[in-house]
Amino acid sequence: MSLAAEAFVSQMAAAEPWPENATLYQPLKDDQILLSDCASSLAVQAYLRMCCLPVQVVCKANAEYMSPSGRIPFIHVGNQVVSELGPIVQFTKAKGHSLSDGLDDVQRAEMKAYMELVNNMLLTAELYIQWCDDATAAEISRPRYSSPYSWPLNNILAYQKQWEVRRKMNAIGWGGKTLEQVYEDVSQCCQALSQRLGTQPYFFNKQPTELDALVFGHLFTILTTRLTSTELAERIKSYSNLLSFCRRIEQNYFEGKSS
Amino acid sequence: MGTVHAKTLDPVPMHGRDLGVNPDDLVETSEPEHEAKQEILENKDVVVQHVNIEGLGRTKEDLLGYEISDVFQAKNLIDVMKKAHVARQKLLRLGIFNEVEVLIDTSEGTDALPNGLDVTFEVTEIKRLTGSYNTMVGNNEGSMVLGLKLPNMFGRAEKLTFQFSYGTKETSYGLSFFKPQPGHFERNLTLNMYKVTGQFPWSSLKETDRGLSAELNFPLGIANHTLKWEGVWRELGCLARSASFAVREESGHSLKSALSHTVSIDSRNSAIFPSRGALVRVNQELAGYTGGDASFLKEDFELQLNRRFFWDSVLSASLWGGILYPIGEKVSCIADRFYLGGPTSVRGFGMYSIGPQSEGDYLGGEAYWAGGLHLYTPLPFRPGKGGFGDLFRTHFFLNAGNLCNLHYGEGPRAHLQKLAECIRWSYGVGIVLRLGNIARLELNYCVPMGVQSGDRICDGIQFGAGIRFL
Repeated sequence: MSLAAEAFVSQMAAAEPWPENATLYQPLKDDQILLSDCASSLAVQAYLRMCCLPVQVVCKANAEYMSPSGRIPFIHVGNQVVSELGPIVQFTKAKGHSLSDGLDDVQRAEMKAYMELVNNMLLTAELYIQWCDDATAAEISRPRYSSPYSWPLNNILAYQKQWEVRRKMNAIGWGGKTLEQVYEDVSQCCQALSQRLGTQPYFFNKQPTELDALVFGHLFTILTTRLTSTELAERIKSYSNLLSFCRRIEQNYFEGKSS
Repeated sequence: MGTVHAKTLDPVPMHGRDLGVNPDDLVETSEPEHEAKQEILENKDVVVQHVNIEGLGRTKEDLLGYEISDVFQAKNLIDVMKKAHVARQKLLRLGIFNEVEVLIDTSEGTDALPNGLDVTFEVTEIKRLTGSYNTMVGNNEGSMVLGLKLPNMFGRAEKLTFQFSYGTKETSYGLSFFKPQPGHFERNLTLNMYKVTGQFPWSSLKETDRGLSAELNFPLGIANHTLKWEGVWRELGCLARSASFAVREESGHSLKSALSHTVSIDSRNSAIFPSRGALVRVNQELAGYTGGDASFLKEDFELQLNRRFFWDSVLSASLWGGILYPIGEKVSCIADRFYLGGPTSVRGFGMYSIGPQSEGDYLGGEAYWAGGLHLYTPLPFRPGKGGFGDLFRTHFFLNAGNLCNLHYGEGPRAHLQKLAECIRWSYGVGIVLRLGNIARLELNYCVPMGVQSGDRICDGIQFGAGIRFL
């Protein structure tokens, strides 16, 4: 969002408290949603649970087109619609809920850097594996993406999305990478995260922040999603502190409540 | 007997769609000429021996055989002239000739009978390719429109039209192929392929349609029937970030594959300012049984009655109505619902601004009815009578209507009750201008009544331009 739009949203947001009927929209869970969208949605859900803000998850086939930015997930709070984790964090901050208030400037900069790392590495890798790997695209991504639509619209939309993602991958220089290189990049990213986490419960010691929510969303989804090969999940499993980190967050924030 | 050069009895064809001449306005000039010769010629029997068509290029002759065959039946000279005139009209309505001249001469040659006649039609074919280029500016958007037409493509009155509009905001195009049945021009087939974009600020909605359609027209008795299959890929989106959530929920893609049937009986003497006659048009559309996501049954009808009143004024009553019945569990789509209000339907209200709405965005309804009662009179004091002034009328109107959603579980009694409560209506006076034979402009002073909360009104002066008015 532009600066002016951000300022406007903040001002509007600050006016009202968090309502009971806040809703989060994502594509259909069983048949349609893909790995990258599921990861982003789970990250936002984890963040909101960490802030103790109630939100209802609603699955809609056209969630991607409903979103003002075209990305999943988006939340409908009062009469505001905000999409993606970054703007949602700003939005909740304007309402007075924040997880990163206790951090000093250095830590905040570090947190932003790691979030950028996750977005540039993990999210891009997920998109690459889904759409640029022919086997995954043909077996999983295209059938799932096009499942709510009838012929021939389903084929048109699936291929359109595939071309769009491939064009984007070429633009950022990932077009020439092989699957092995992508797995290597994921490993390196996980190594950086694992090192930063160390033996602490959360990235910034005792309290979870939005970085924890983001990392949890991506790692947990990769671990629990069936892909054509288990290579990606294996790479993550080799870092045991990340595994226990995921389990910890799952136990603290998702178990015992409806997820 | 010398040649009778029956070139034209009137300057332009009388029932062409694009030409703004009302047959009632023309005076028949043929009778006085024939009066003098009638006693000499009428009793003389003639035989039409040859009917020729000269000037054909790519047009196939078998197509024209049907149009000119009647001329052979003529028994005397007057008859020949009349039938030749009718044949000329038929040739012109095919849309493949620029001009048709008729030449009636005595037969010549070895097999010529003493009372034999030869009738020759001299035709000028339309050029193979015609193009047009326009630029349009309006509503914060400029666009360039290119049109290409190939009339009489394969020689049997087929027509291929292509239109392309390239604008600062949207691009749209359409390709259309028209083929009439030789000998029965009213039975024809049209195939269309198009991409059309539209912006609807009253619903904060923008819609892009990419589609194919096949349409078959044929007359049956006095009625004209149209059978159509249409397959459209619809993409809906919010026009502004401030669109209501109800409209945001409708965003996305859907596929509609629908069969529709229209029957229309039109006995009016003109499409724009009829002074007598009636129009009945019933349309039904069934979507979902030939594929696609949208699944519904839609019925709508249009009724118009006209009658001359005292002193050159015309009383006109019209009634529109429609119902959309979703099939299956899916809710109806905003692009399929009916809309009401505006200068072309219930005057005095904003454009399509009646009925269910959410945060200022009008969502349309599944059932509606609208009625209008008009009294058209010529302009007071009749300025420019016989010329420009005849294109204007003043009209006094009374419009009423209602638009709502029905709960299909209840019976018809409950539906009628729902449509009868909260009726919006308006009355007023205005000036109407006819444009060609298709469109009209209106400038009205309206007083809206029965306004419900949520409706947007336009009381006072309202301007409207369009093709179909209530």
